Amino acid sequence: MSRKGSPNPNTTEAYALEQEALTHLESLLAVAVRLTRNRAEAEDLVQDTLVKAMRARRQFMPGTNLRAWLLRILTNTFINRYRRGGLEKSLLEGPDADPLADGWVGAATMEGMRDPESQALRPLIQAEVVRALDELPDEFRIAVVLADVEELSYREIAEVMGCPIGTVMSRLHRGRRMLKAKLYDQARAIGLVGPEPVLVEAENDAAPKAKAVDLDSFRARRRSSR
Amino acid sequence: MTSCRRLLPLLDAFVDRELSPDETLEVEQHLLDCRTCRARVALQHSLKLSLRRAVRESEPATDGFRRRVVSALAAERERERARAHGVSRGHMLPWRSIVPLAAAAAVALLLGMRANQQQPPDPTDGSQRDFTNNASMVDRLLDDFVMHHANPPLPEVVDEALVGRLEPEVGVPVRAPSLRQYGAEWEGGSTVWVNSPHRRVATLRYNLGGHHVTVFMYDASRIPLGASLEPRVVHNVPVYVGTRRGYSIAASEKRGMGYAVTSDLDGSESAELLAASF
Repeated sequence: MSRKGSPNPNTTEAYALEQEALTHLESLLAVAVRLTRNRAEAEDLVQDTLVKAMRARRQFMPGTNLRAWLLRILTNTFINRYRRGGLEKSLLEGPDADPLADGWVGAATMEGMRDPESQALRPLIQAEVVRALDELPDEFRIAVVLADVEELSYREIAEVMGCPIGTVMSRLHRGRRMLKAKLYDQARAIGLVGPEPVLVEAENDAAPKAKAVDLDSFRARRRSSR
Repeated sequence: MTSCRRLLPLLDAFVDRELSPDETLEVEQHLLDCRTCRARVALQHSLKLSLRRAVRESEPATDGFRRRVVSALAAERERERARAHGVSRGHMLPWRSIVPLAAAAAVALLLGMRANQQQPPDPTDGSQRDFTNNASMVDRLLDDFVMHHANPPLPEVVDEALVGRLEPEVGVPVRAPSLRQYGAEWEGGSTVWVNSPHRRVATLRYNLGGHHVTVFMYDASRIPLGASLEPRVVHNVPVYVGTRRGYSIAASEKRGMGYAVTSDLDGSESAELLAASF
């Protein structure tokens, strides 16, 4: 080959990273839409994220999870732009205002709520799921999207959100519980499940307060088991 | 059921596969005996699946958005490259002031390739500085073309049949030239920024037996390139030919469309490819 001006290695490397980053475009956009709840803002957010990522590409460690790194830039950009004071803390610190304990409904109801997935109701359910998700406070919504849609590990989510793993777990737990409560209300409204009083089973006392204590021991056990 | 109380906090982590093997085993053992926890886990699994499907399917990226991001990244690369090369845009002429000047200065621009040569005064226009600016502008433009040829951008269009997608960014029709007859293989198309004047041009890349060939298509009314090269006629088409940094450049215009070919072939070969690109 007689080409004289071969591209410099820096530029080639940038192309390669750019190309790889672009494979995550769909994924980034889906997350951005759920974060901003606005298509146009989401597109701007994704574009900013990718441009920032390329500017900061020397900070990316090759061999680590590029998607998680991009999601971190995206989430930080979102928080800095739309939530100047950072994520709301009030909901996190205060006592659990949600009267529904963990075992808020019985097994039959939970089974009933799952059934629509296998039936022809999926489009409705999808719309309801998205709406319920959009109603969550930011810190819960971000945690749930990163864990359930993007399937990041707790450690990766902790890095993205800049908080301890224990906080990730409690945000996830509470976000999901709110989601289930909303979906339960909707399932009831369309008659998928019957009315059911909140169960007060013996094990339901194990809900949030006990959980907060348990998290530490759980984490300690996890650390020692690795 | 003390087992439920103890394991409840682990169920989320179980579904998320964040538990250690022995904790996982413990939860699995419990699930065999406990219908409620089984339902909890199943509901959480199902919620996870619904969320993933709902979120991923709700907002697919459109081609328009994808193109926008690709050009934003390309523009960022250009900015970075400009910074690295210490290029300042502060002194650049806006293209609006260039177009009328270019027409008046066409004769003087023929000398543009020999940049240091004294420009002959134009009897109809006393402003000799403008000629010099135009000449150096075209000089920089040729540099840009050669630079884009030597450092090809990431392809935005990988299917040769879809090069028309570059049109909106370039502002002129973009059609794939018929270079097959020369055995040229398609490599990809994209748009790039050129600095003088600040415009997007389409670049179509081919490989001709190991030689890289770039075909540029642009709005000729805004980028008066042909004027600074040596005029020739190839297959009855007026073509301008020159060399820069070891690459040959051929350029021409037709109905307001500008075409240029850069390659490491010799000037007459580039001119031949250019004439075939019409």
